[in-house]
Amino acid sequence: MAGQIQSRLEELGISLPEGPAPVANYVPYVVHGSLVFVSGQIPFVDGELSYIGTVGDDVTLEEGQSAARVCALNVLAQVKAACDGDLDRVTRCVRLGGYVNGSADFKQHPQVMNGASDLMVEIFGDKGRHARFAVGAGNLPAGVAVEVEGVFEIA
Amino acid sequence: MAGQINTRLQELGLALPTPFISQANYIPYVQTGDLLFVAGQGPMRDGGPGSIGKVGGAISEDDAYEAARLTGLNLIAQANHACDGDLDRVVRCIRLFGLINAVPGFTNLLQVMNGASDLMVEVFGDRGRHARSTIGAVALPHDMTIEIDAIFSIA
Repeated sequence: MAGQIQSRLEELGISLPEGPAPVANYVPYVVHGSLVFVSGQIPFVDGELSYIGTVGDDVTLEEGQSAARVCALNVLAQVKAACDGDLDRVTRCVRLGGYVNGSADFKQHPQVMNGASDLMVEIFGDKGRHARFAVGAGNLPAGVAVEVEGVFEIA
Repeated sequence: MAGQINTRLQELGLALPTPFISQANYIPYVQTGDLLFVAGQGPMRDGGPGSIGKVGGAISEDDAYEAARLTGLNLIAQANHACDGDLDRVVRCIRLFGLINAVPGFTNLLQVMNGASDLMVEVFGDRGRHARSTIGAVALPHDMTIEIDAIFSIA
């Protein structure tokens, strides 16, 4: 039987990707007690990197928000793997971190990161309300516009 | 008797640097329960910075990889101090966060950060496999090439 969160994803028309495999000598997540630490995720869509560029320059604010949402979906795919496929075990999204490759005068990092934060609340309701930071990065891996990491609590 | 990890360090020909203590109002690590939060470390060698400058500029990618490895060694030195010299008490390297001082347009950040990740796995084996986030920074303190902070779990 599908879990509540799985049903919610279907209502929202969201299918989670397979969590991208790390490209080096680290792992996509570490479970410590009830906490899951998820590595920074970049905007892979169907195994292809998307949203390459700089927000405020060749990437619009709206595209940056979409990129943050895609990164957050990849974060959730890793959390799902950590929960053996049962997202109902998520008791809280504790913290998200957002890194935005913005142009030198770009200041709307929080608005970009809302793409990730809104997704968590859409999916998990109050359990999706998290602490957060959003900062500008000089560069990001492979030249992507946004990277998102997270800490989750699971049962 | 030397512990397993100390023996491993010797096999690898690695000597831990003297743990760096800032003159500012923070401390190199805080332990809460079995979690050890280590403050951001730089590529310190013999009490001074071992790599100054931006990767993609004055610093080559290979040299930046070595700076990441040296910074990882400084993180292990702090963990060693926290464990009263017994690194066998390290249960897991949970998470690394890498800030890399890079020229605009340099995007091989993951390759640089691998210097620290590879070291953790060489030294701690599976216990060294961590979650990780990596970003490029526009500038870092003293123009250090890289800064990394870490969370370990210790027994």
